Amino acid sequence: MSRIELKCDLLVIGSGIAGMAASLFAANRGIKTIQIGKTNTLSFTSGLMDVLAVHPIEEKRLWKNPWDAIDTLKKDISGHPYSKVSKDTIEKAFKELVAFLKSADVPYANYQNKNVNIITPIGTLKPTFFVPESMLNGVSALEEKKPCLIIDFYNLKGFSALQIKETLKDKWQNLRTAQIKFLDSSKEQFAEQMAYDLEKPKNLDKLAKEISPHIKDAEILGIPAILGVKRHSSVLSKLQELLGVKVFEIPTIIPSVPGIRLKKAFEDKLQDIGVQSFYSQEVIQVFHKDDFVFDVTGAASMFKIRTKGVILSTGRFFGGGLSADREKITETIFNLEIYGPFLRKVWHELDFFAPRGHNINNCGIETDEYFHPIDKSGKVIFNNLYAVGSILAHNDWTRMKCGTGVSVATAYSAVNAFLNQKG
Amino acid sequence: MFFSISFKISLAIFVLGTLYRIINWFRFKIGTDALSFTMIDRIKSGVIGIFKTIFSLKIFSIIKVLILDVVLQIKIIRADKWRWIMHMCIFYGFMLLLLMHAFENQITKALFKNYASTLNPFMFLRNLFGAIVIFGVLIAVLRRKKTPKILTNAHDSFAIFLLFSIMLSGFVLEGLKIISSPIFDEMVSSYISGSDDITPLKAYWAKKFHVVFKEKININDEKLLSEGESSHIDNCASCHSMPETAFISYPFAVSFKHFGNTLNDFRVDRWLWYFHVLSCFLGLAYLPFSKFFHILSTPINLLLEPAEEEKNKVTSRIIGMDACTHCGVCTENCSVAQIYQVTQNPNILPSEKLASIKLLSRGKKVEREKLNEIAEGSFICTNCYRCTKVCPSGINLDDLWTASKNTLIQQGYFEPHNWIAQKSPSEWAETVKKKKDEPSDLIDNPEIFYGCVQCSTCASVCPVVAASNGNEIDLTPQQVMNLLRMGLKDLAMASKMVWNCTTCYMCEENCPQGIRVTDIFYELRNKAYIRFKDVKENV
Ligand SMILES: Cc1cc2nc3c(=O)[nH]c(=O)nc-3n(C[C@H](O)[C@H](O)[C@H](O)COP(=O)(O)OP(=O)(O)OC[C@H]3O[C@@H](n4cnc5c(N)ncnc54)[C@H](O)[C@@H]3O)c2cc1C
Repeated sequence: MSRIELKCDLLVIGSGIAGMAASLFAANRGIKTIQIGKTNTLSFTSGLMDVLAVHPIEEKRLWKNPWDAIDTLKKDISGHPYSKVSKDTIEKAFKELVAFLKSADVPYANYQNKNVNIITPIGTLKPTFFVPESMLNGVSALEEKKPCLIIDFYNLKGFSALQIKETLKDKWQNLRTAQIKFLDSSKEQFAEQMAYDLEKPKNLDKLAKEISPHIKDAEILGIPAILGVKRHSSVLSKLQELLGVKVFEIPTIIPSVPGIRLKKAFEDKLQDIGVQSFYSQEVIQVFHKDDFVFDVTGAASMFKIRTKGVILSTGRFFGGGLSADREKITETIFNLEIYGPFLRKVWHELDFFAPRGHNINNCGIETDEYFHPIDKSGKVIFNNLYAVGSILAHNDWTRMKCGTGVSVATAYSAVNAFLNQKG
Repeated sequence: MFFSISFKISLAIFVLGTLYRIINWFRFKIGTDALSFTMIDRIKSGVIGIFKTIFSLKIFSIIKVLILDVVLQIKIIRADKWRWIMHMCIFYGFMLLLLMHAFENQITKALFKNYASTLNPFMFLRNLFGAIVIFGVLIAVLRRKKTPKILTNAHDSFAIFLLFSIMLSGFVLEGLKIISSPIFDEMVSSYISGSDDITPLKAYWAKKFHVVFKEKININDEKLLSEGESSHIDNCASCHSMPETAFISYPFAVSFKHFGNTLNDFRVDRWLWYFHVLSCFLGLAYLPFSKFFHILSTPINLLLEPAEEEKNKVTSRIIGMDACTHCGVCTENCSVAQIYQVTQNPNILPSEKLASIKLLSRGKKVEREKLNEIAEGSFICTNCYRCTKVCPSGINLDDLWTASKNTLIQQGYFEPHNWIAQKSPSEWAETVKKKKDEPSDLIDNPEIFYGCVQCSTCASVCPVVAASNGNEIDLTPQQVMNLLRMGLKDLAMASKMVWNCTTCYMCEENCPQGIRVTDIFYELRNKAYIRFKDVKENV
C-alpha cells in the first residue's frame, strides 16, 4: 500500500512541554517543522514552570535563587542536562516561550527573578519559577499575610479550603474559608468543565453573587484554578471587577486547568506560526538512511514522514518515551541505549520516601553537549537525532523541581544545534 | 359461458379486494398519533383533502408527479437504469397486451376496422409485447439473483411466476393454434361452402402455415399449391398474415410439428387456452392481494405525499405501506443492513420490516416472539433517512419507522437503552451472574484497560458528563474503567454512563494512557444487549 509521504526538515516527536517548546523554537527560526504527539501530557502538568528549586535532593535543600542553584548543580552532577546549557540559554529560552504564551493570551510571570511559593490544593507550598499571572497575586499576598478568603466548591473533589487553611495556619493566620455551590452543584464537578462554564458572562455573574457575601474584610480571594480556558484573562479581570478585590488561582489536582490552557494555546497557536502538527497520532516505526522515514498511525490514518532531523521529546514512562517490563527499560522508538539501573531490583529503594529518590528516576538517554544521543562508548548514534526533555538521564525532575526548565532549555539548545549543523 | 363466469368471479374478487384494501387505508393505524382519530374522521378528511387539492394550484404539481414519476418513472431511472428498463418492459408490455389483446373486442376492433388477431401488424405486435414482458421478467429474476442483499419472498416469486406463465402459455398457445388442423377445419366450415374441394387449400396451409393434418398431403405438388394459394387469397388472406411474423410462437409451432397429430388429437390448444385464460383471471383476482396492487397504490401514494393534515398523514402512512413493491432498494441502501448478517433478524431490513409493520397496523394480536423481533429490528434503525430518499414509490419510510417505534414503545417494547434502564446495574449483574458469554478481546482483556491511572481526564472532556444534571450518568468514564479493572464487567454493562455515551471519542483521544475508552463502552453496550436480552422478559 502506498501512503502519503510528508516531508520536513525537522520532525518533533512528542507533545509534552519539551516537544511544544522545540516546535515553537524551530518554527520561530523558519525551520520547516512537523510535530507528532500521542495523547497530550500537558493537561497533566500543574501549569507551573520550575527551573530548579531543590538540590541536593538528599538534603532537600531549597533554593530561593534558582540560578545560584544551577551553578552548584553543574559542579555536583556532571551528567545533568543543565550542565550542557548556560544560564543565558535557559533565560533566553524562557523569554521566547513566555512571549509566545503572552501572545496566546496565557500570560506567565515571575516574581523578582526568584523561586516563588505556590499554594497547592492541599495547602502545602511548592517552589517554582514562572507561574500563570493569575497565581502571582497569591504569592505576594502570602508574603504580606493579607486578609484572605479561600473558597472551594461543593462536589469538586481534591480541593479543600479547610485543609489549605489548616495546613497553612502557622504561615498565614489571616485566612478564612467558604464553600460555594457552583451553578449546578448536584453533580460531581470537573475543573475543566467549570472553566468553560465561567466563560459565559451570565455564569460568572452568578458565581460572583454567590461569593460576594463571603468577602467581608478579605482583601484578596483564593479560588481553585477554574477561571476560563481560552478567555482566561478576561474572566479573571471581570471577576476582580465584580467582587472588588484581587483574585488569585490555586492549582487543582489533575487534570488542571492551567495545564489545559497551555495545551490549547500550543495546539492552536503553533499551527499559526507554521508548525504542521498532528496530535493523537503515534510514531510507530523508523527507517534510517541519510534521512529518517517514519511510519505514523492514528485513529483514521497511516502516513509516512521523511525528515532531515528529529527531536525526540517523548518523555519517560508516563509520556511513553521509555518503557519498562520485568527485565529491562527500553527507549520505544529508536531503541536507544538507556543509562540507568540495569537490574530491576535496584530500580527502586525499599523506602518509598527515600530521601535520595529512586534510581529509576534518573534513568534515560545520555547525550553529547548538543543533545545527540550517545552509546556506551560515548559515540554519537545519529548526528541528526536530538533528545530533549524528561527522557534525558540524570535529572530527577520531580524532586529537584526542574521539569519544565530542563525541557525548555534542552529544546532550545537542540533546535539551535540542528540549525548550526544544517549550516 | 366458462369464460364469462370465471371472468365475472375474478372481477368480483378484484373489485371487492380493492375496496377492502382501500377501506383498510382508513381503518389500519400505526403510530401513537393515529390512535386519536376514528375511521370516519379519516375518510372525511381524506375526501376533503382530495377536493382541496384538485381545486388548488397543487393540481399542477400533481400533474407533474403523474407525468414524471408515474408515467416516466423518473425516480427509478435515477437509481438504476436496468431496473427502469425492467419496470418499463413489464408494465408497458403488459398494458399494451391488455389493451390490444385482452380487450381486442372492445378496443382494438373499435380502432381498426379490419382488425383480426391473426393479421399483421397485430400478430407481430402481440409477440413483440409478450417478448418485452418476458425480457423484463428475466431482468427481474437476474437482479434478484445477482443482488444477495435483496430478499425474495413467496409473493415476489409467485408474481414473477404468474407473469411468466401467462406470457409463456400465450406464446405456446399461439404456436399450437398454428399447427392445429381442428381449428383449420372449424374455420373452413365457417367460411367456405361445404361443396368446395379444400385439398389444395390444405396443401397450401400445410406448407406455408405449417398446419399438421392427419392424412398425407403432398406439399410439393406445384399445381396443387397454386390452386391452394388462389383459394387462400379468396377465402383466408384478408384475415391471415404469414405465421413467420409471430417470431416467437412460430418457432414453437415448427418444433411441435413432429408430434403435431398427438397435440391436435388431444386438443392441447384448448387445454392451454383454459390455462392461459385462467392464469389471467387468477392474476386479476389476486391483484388486490399481491404486490401488483402497487399499480394502484403507488401512483396514489406518490400523489398524496406529502400529506400535511394530521389525519391524512396517518392515512397516507397506510397507503404508503401498500405502495411497497418489495423492490429492495431501501435494503440495498440501509445503513444498518449489515447487522442482519449477524443477527439474521430480517426485521432489520427496511423492505422486510415493512411487512411486519403492516401486520402491526392491523391492530390484531401479534405473537410476543414476533413482536420482539420487530422491536429489535426497529430499534436498530437509526432513522438515517437513506431508505426514504431512495424509495421509488415515494413512501415516507422515515415517518413510518418513527410511527412504528412509537407504537412498539406504547405496547411495552422499549429501545435497549430504555429497557436496560429499568433495572439498576447491580440488579442486572445479579440476574446474569451465572450466565456465560463469549469473551471479548476488549472488555475481557485486562491489557486494554489496566493502564488506567484514574486521572479523570476522560470525565473532564466528556460532553455527556458536562451536560448531565446528575441523573443521566451514574458513573464517570474512569469509574467504569475501574469496574472493569476489578472484574465487575456485568456491573459496568448496565451503567448509565455506558448507555448514554454518544461515542464522540473525546475520552479516547485525550486519555494519556491511550486506553480505548469509547470502544470499550461500545463493546459493553453490545455485550449487554446480548447478555441481558434473554432475561429481559422479567423486567
Ligand atoms: C502530574 C505532573 C505534574 C507536573 N508538574 C510540574 C510542575 O509543577 N512544574 C514543572 O516544571 N513541571 C511539571 N511537570 C513536568 C513537566 O511537564 C515536564 O517537563 C514533563 O513531564 C517533561 O516533558 P516532556 O515533554 O519531556 O515529556 P512528556 O510530558 O512526558 O511528553 C511526552 C510526549 O511524547 C508523546 N509520545 C511518546 N511516544 C510517542 C510516539 N511514539 N509517537 C508520538 N508521540 C509520542 C507523548 O504522547 C507525550 O505527548 C509535571 C508533570 C506531571 C506529569
